[in-house]
Amino acid sequence: MGAVAKRAAAPAAATYALEVRNLHAGYAGKEILKGVSFAVTPDDFFAIIGPSGAGKSTLIRCVNRLVEPSGGEIVLDGTDLAKLDPSRLRAARRHIGMIFQEFNLIERLSVLDNVLTGRLGYTGTLRSVLRLFTREDIAKALTLLDRVGLREHVDKRADRLSGGQRQRVGIARALMQDPRLLLVDEPTSSLDPKIAREVMALIREIARELRVPVLCNIHDVALAREFCTHVIGLQDGVKKFEGRPDELDERAMHEIYAMEVL
Amino acid sequence: MSSLTLDARVAAVSRLRRRTWSTRALVYVALAAAVLWSVYVIVVADTDWARLAASSIGKTLGRFMEFDAALIPDLVDPTIDTALMATLASLGGLLLALPVAWLGAANITPLGKASYVFGRGLMTLSRSVHEIVWGLIFVSAVGLGALAGILAMAVRSVGFISKVVAEAIEDVHPGPIEAMRAVGANRLQVLLYGIVPQVLPVVLGTVIFEWDINIRRSTIMGLVGAGGLGLVLFRQMAMINYGGVATVILAVLLLIALGEVISHYARKAII
Amino acid sequence: MRSRAAPTEDPPDLAAALRWRRFRFPDTLYRHAALLTVLVVIAYGVERLDIDLERLPGVLGRMGSTLAQRYFPPNLAHIAQADYLHSVFETLQMSYLATVVGVLLAIPLAWVASANVSPSPRLGYPLARLFIMACRSVHEMIWTILLVAVLGFGMLPGVVALTLFCIGFAGKLFAEAIEAIDAGPVDAMRATGAGRTQIFVFAVLPQVRVAWTGTTIYTWDVVFRAATIVGFFGAGGMGWYLRESVQRIASQDVAAILLSIILVVLVAELVSAWLRKRIAQAIA
Repeated sequence: MGAVAKRAAAPAAATYALEVRNLHAGYAGKEILKGVSFAVTPDDFFAIIGPSGAGKSTLIRCVNRLVEPSGGEIVLDGTDLAKLDPSRLRAARRHIGMIFQEFNLIERLSVLDNVLTGRLGYTGTLRSVLRLFTREDIAKALTLLDRVGLREHVDKRADRLSGGQRQRVGIARALMQDPRLLLVDEPTSSLDPKIAREVMALIREIARELRVPVLCNIHDVALAREFCTHVIGLQDGVKKFEGRPDELDERAMHEIYAMEVL
Repeated sequence: MSSLTLDARVAAVSRLRRRTWSTRALVYVALAAAVLWSVYVIVVADTDWARLAASSIGKTLGRFMEFDAALIPDLVDPTIDTALMATLASLGGLLLALPVAWLGAANITPLGKASYVFGRGLMTLSRSVHEIVWGLIFVSAVGLGALAGILAMAVRSVGFISKVVAEAIEDVHPGPIEAMRAVGANRLQVLLYGIVPQVLPVVLGTVIFEWDINIRRSTIMGLVGAGGLGLVLFRQMAMINYGGVATVILAVLLLIALGEVISHYARKAII
Repeated sequence: MRSRAAPTEDPPDLAAALRWRRFRFPDTLYRHAALLTVLVVIAYGVERLDIDLERLPGVLGRMGSTLAQRYFPPNLAHIAQADYLHSVFETLQMSYLATVVGVLLAIPLAWVASANVSPSPRLGYPLARLFIMACRSVHEMIWTILLVAVLGFGMLPGVVALTLFCIGFAGKLFAEAIEAIDAGPVDAMRATGAGRTQIFVFAVLPQVRVAWTGTTIYTWDVVFRAATIVGFFGAGGMGWYLRESVQRIASQDVAAILLSIILVVLVAELVSAWLRKRIAQAIA
């Protein structure tokens, strides 16, 4: 019995937004991901937990190939991302929104411009040089900024915001892409606890509204338990646990974090 | 027992100190000898002191003090010319420096070690060749006149500007670049949004800094017929109007001082 | 944090977008004004200085053909003569002497010209700063021309010109190093009642010694570069041969001399870089 068996009992008609099969990744001599597989439906909010060095960050980055996988399949809405050539990969990345631990905003640009960069994949080169985004894009950006609660900060320079505000800009930017998948890399590590919970709540709320699946890399297990629908426990590149947060009991925790205990 | 070891240690330390002191002394003596030798060669052997004493150094120097105030109104136009030449040269230098910086930045250089070394080589070449030599080279390409001087100064500026820009590019935060790749931006967009905003303040500050230096260089570009205060200076020298020469030099000093003030405030505004 | 309002929000958002403009007064105004000014200056400069833009595209081609036809092959026999090789040595000696004397003079000058520890903050400081600035602002070749007019041809005017240049160059860098020191040791010495000179020797010098050594080597490198050319204006060294062959329009001789100058300067740069690295290691 266990998480894997439960998964198999799920309705066969569930269409998976993202399917990762036997994912391998590593670099010269060292393998980081050793055959990870899982599947995500549009209503899921997946948390990936595990000790440091388990490969959580690598896993997230393999999905949009910021890190090149060495083997396996990454099927998003029917397309295997692992097999795409560079220009088609870029096109595919347009539909994958990413939220970063260090926010990764363009510091000298305004909040609005930062959110607009989410549309760069859809914007021609000439227009992007002159920063001439369309009226629709601007309207959408303003709506999103309103949604994440940053209406008063629209024209402020990104480096003048607090950590929590910057992360919300990052969220808005990811949403500008009309994403079919949200990749979230340690969204709360650089934030203090109260802000962290607000950010997690915002992500969950919006993901639910838009029915976008979320793959979230997080080390704070309590936050994972509270906000996610499913948990994947990774240790040393291997999936040690998959299931719902309430199934994450003492035994499962030991299995995932065994090395730390040692 | 302990006093023996202590004595031994003191002796060892003294030996070491004497040795380092004597190597140091040797170096200083060698330096002093070389200096004295060059003094001999240059000041004693090469200089015709008899002739110098006979000539009227004092009077010549005195003539430099005869400030030629009549020259001042004629200096306004050349001053503007000099400032314009320095500006065009600095902007031209920036234009040329950008591809060189691209080649010489270890993280974005297109062909690996080969293009990196080539880029750095260009930077060194630009700095190693004196602006006068560049001036002579460009005169044979575009003839006498302002263009030769401007091109010479532009090429000379490339060395410094591209070096600073390359170092700035090498120091960028990778985060924004990663974010731009993640939204599906193409190479140019990643460059424009991920890298350029980070290095822009440094680039502009460096160009302004180099602008001030180019004002200085443009005074000598009168040699290649480049006009400006340099040409006025050469003409005054040719007429042996030393008072006029002094006046022009004062104008140059003022212009550079003004340039330094502008440069200081402009660089502050950019950050 | 607000949740989404009723779906009637769309029109107001488009309205907001229409109201929002990129050209928000006054910040972007400054930036666009600056850009416009630069363009106007360029256009004005090209016009006023009589720059024939049509000559630009062909520049590289013309340089290439001139190089190939007139300057190639460089007449290496010309530079293999004993006189010329001797002049290389002379150039080295000029640069060496000028650097040593210039640095020795720059040290006290930089001390007076430093904002934090100057012994004469009201009178000496502005004068010293002015002197350093004057030395720096006048191009080293201008100094050479002036000094040749006063002292005649030979290595002496060259050395004096290079020394003045060195004072300006090193003086500024030395003063900046002094202004960057930690105020602690200085205050400590002041508290003990030490005199200004003592403060300089015991609190300032130890802190700037390292930076100054690197600066001195860098200065020598720059002075040497200039020393190869001062002869062009009559001051001795390799530059004299350059002028001489330019005047004879002996392009292949010119090419040979230029090559030797570039080579010698590159060697000097390598030596200077190596020395600075060695010293940095010795200090560490």
